[in-house]
Amino acid sequence: MGKHVLLADDDQLLASLLNFRLKKGGYEVHHSSNGREVKEYLTKQRPDIIVSDIMMPYFSGIELIDFVRNDLKLSTPIIIISSAGNEQNVLSAFELGANDFITKPVSPTELLVRVARELNK
Amino acid sequence: MLTPPKQIIYPLIKAPEFNAEFLGWLTVVFLVLAVMYFLGTFLIRNKLGSQGALTKDKKMEFSPMISEFLFYEDSNTKEEKKTYLNLKVQIRESIKNNFDRNVLTEVLLDLRKDLSGQSQDVLMALYKDLGLHITAYDKLSSRRWQIISSGILELTAMEVHEGYTLIIKFINHRQSTIRKQAERAVVSLKEEGICYFLDNTKYRISEWQQLKLLDILRHKSDFVPPQFSLWLTSTNVDVVLFSLRLIKYFKQNNAEKSIITLLKHKKKVIQLEAIDCIKEFYFINAIPTLKLVYPKAGNDVKIAILDAIGEIGTKNELPFLQHWHSKERNFNIKSKVIGTINKIDPESILPTSNIKKTTFFTSDIEEDIEPTIIVQQEEEIEQLATQLDETEQVNKPVELISEEKEFFEHEELTIPEVKDVEEITPETHDMDEEILVLDDLMPMETVGNELTEMDNQLIDLPQENTEEPIEDLKENIETELVLDFLPLVIDEPQEEPVLLNEGIDEPDFDFALEDSPLQQEELTVQQVMNKSLLDFKEIDWVALTEDVSELPMQETTDAIVFNNTSRANVLSLSADFLDDEELETMVLLENIADMGDNRELPVLQNILNNSASTIIVDRANELIQKFSYEMPRPAELFAPDNALSESVFAEIFHLSDIETQFILLDEIKKIGDEKEMALLQSLINGNNEALAKKAKEVLQVVTDNLAKTEKRGDDEMENNLFQLDFELELESATKSNSANSLKEGGSTLFDHLCAMSSSFYTKKNG
Repeated sequence: MGKHVLLADDDQLLASLLNFRLKKGGYEVHHSSNGREVKEYLTKQRPDIIVSDIMMPYFSGIELIDFVRNDLKLSTPIIIISSAGNEQNVLSAFELGANDFITKPVSPTELLVRVARELNK
Repeated sequence: MLTPPKQIIYPLIKAPEFNAEFLGWLTVVFLVLAVMYFLGTFLIRNKLGSQGALTKDKKMEFSPMISEFLFYEDSNTKEEKKTYLNLKVQIRESIKNNFDRNVLTEVLLDLRKDLSGQSQDVLMALYKDLGLHITAYDKLSSRRWQIISSGILELTAMEVHEGYTLIIKFINHRQSTIRKQAERAVVSLKEEGICYFLDNTKYRISEWQQLKLLDILRHKSDFVPPQFSLWLTSTNVDVVLFSLRLIKYFKQNNAEKSIITLLKHKKKVIQLEAIDCIKEFYFINAIPTLKLVYPKAGNDVKIAILDAIGEIGTKNELPFLQHWHSKERNFNIKSKVIGTINKIDPESILPTSNIKKTTFFTSDIEEDIEPTIIVQQEEEIEQLATQLDETEQVNKPVELISEEKEFFEHEELTIPEVKDVEEITPETHDMDEEILVLDDLMPMETVGNELTEMDNQLIDLPQENTEEPIEDLKENIETELVLDFLPLVIDEPQEEPVLLNEGIDEPDFDFALEDSPLQQEELTVQQVMNKSLLDFKEIDWVALTEDVSELPMQETTDAIVFNNTSRANVLSLSADFLDDEELETMVLLENIADMGDNRELPVLQNILNNSASTIIVDRANELIQKFSYEMPRPAELFAPDNALSESVFAEIFHLSDIETQFILLDEIKKIGDEKEMALLQSLINGNNEALAKKAKEVLQVVTDNLAKTEKRGDDEMENNLFQLDFELELESATKSNSANSLKEGGSTLFDHLCAMSSSFYTKKNG
């Protein structure tokens, strides 16, 4: 049974593509399209890794990191997907405890490698 | 009914008559229109909503298919390969439908933006493989500009190079959106696209478009830029401008002449860009053209030219810049000219605005020194004349006069700063003429001139005296005083003169003149020194000119004292060396004279007995006499004018801070007596209100205490009347002992201090 990945992204097309790639890479993927869903899911489930877009409705990626690190007190690896040039958000994410980040346009293969690396740490 | 005469009756204004039926129909029409509007809006909204939902569903339907295509690998299992083939057939069927084809195109374009790397390449290959670019070609032939634009965008995004030939015809399209889209597509799709674009474009190229095109070129992999200087001859100004920018960006510095020629372009933007290029590529050959263009250029261009000259220019450009510095009226340009001059030749133009004149800082010194020196000079001349008059020294020995002359000459030599600046020629002092004309030196020069004049007169005086009657001396002096300053010319190096200011460093001419502020400081210091040098009050010229041994003892002593007190200004008229032992003894005697008191009398007596030198004996005798005379008498010791009669608190009080002063006042309150009255009274009269209040309070307490003590003393006197004899005898014996001890020489400074501390201790401890 593969590792459990929580994929949080409101872009259905990209999420579908990444979902497909991660599943093909041997991971179990749960996709949530907004922050509220992510929050609900995290109160019930404990994924092995979280891949989250920064810009999401209801609950941004930054808030998600804060929620995971400070409220749930989880050390689950978090990889952030952000737009290129959004340096401030990336820095904030790292300050709050993100483990890695990847910029759009995303290379699905690169994401797969990063997820594997974080899980193997 | 009576009506007033001449009353005018106006009929009522009637409302227009409306056809009620017509009004009803009109209402119905508007209602129908409103309903139709809302219905139409509702229907359109629903249609768009349903279409959006359908599109979304279709996208979600296509998404796994595209994912399968994107991540298909040859290593997939047979099952996966079979699925892949089925999906390909399915998708080909789907795109036969226009809606599905549009949705699929939309999905691929969206993913094109979100994906990178190999997935992106596969996506573009899929776009072509599914034949979607054919649809894009069809769009190019549409009559609607937005469809043409979307077609060009699709082909550009999916990098369909085959579409290049179809797109280039839109480069000069009248619709700006299509034109701009076509320009980007042409530059993006093929490497030679930029050349075609620059060759053929006839329209303006906006700044934003230039940035976008530059961005495309910047990100093009393996892009070999053409020689953009080829388009500097274009008739399209924007092409020339864009070419200049591309030349600068791609560092193509082989178009020097063209760029220099463009300095004369009619358009300001071209001129500015050309200047930027010249600065970037350091085209020093452009400097003459820059200077040529400058006078008739606009302000922006002038500033750019000055900036370029500052960057690539040399000191040869300084005359040009200085010319425009004096001629330019515009503040910004004038500032830039100054900046450029200082950039080429640093600090050639110094700040002048809001700078105080040097006289502001030196005026106080002048006021202090100048009058004093003049008064002293006059006094010295008077004194000298009087002395000569009194002693009838008209026939003074020539040697002495020459010595005096030497003295003054030397004094003149040791104050070079007082010379007029104009007289210090470069030949003699290697000075910089530019520095000499600095206005800042002028105030000090004035002082210097006056000093020099006076000194010159003094130098001339003895020579006059040897030949003229003494009665004419004063007149001569007055006459000489109004003479202008004559420079002191020294033809030959003089023998080592007797230095009046021995030990004082010779001033450094060059150093002083190289740096005017330093020179002024040096001048100031020198003037102060000169002031002391010219202070001859202590010099007894009579004593100096006569044989020392013939003078009375007091005069001899004075002469020796002069030699000691003005050691820095020693004037040695003859060689009179002491041996080492005598010298040490003399030093000891002088130290005793400075710091000793009557306790040193035995030492002095010892020196007197052991020494054979006349000078030492005389000096020792003098000191013995002095200290014997100064031995304190008991009566004087506690005299009202003696320090010991003052409060022991006084000295420490004046050295203390406010807080300590309050503490001391508390102590005075406890142990003070009548000695503290004066101190307290001075505090009451002082400026500090808090201290005055406290002092007043303390004074009151002390006065009360004194009154009580006096009363108690009277009572004790009354009560112990018969026991007084013994006590009085004891006290008188103690006092007499104390007096005897004082008489025997025990009342030294140390004794005084001990007495003070004992008194203070006694007071403090009751």
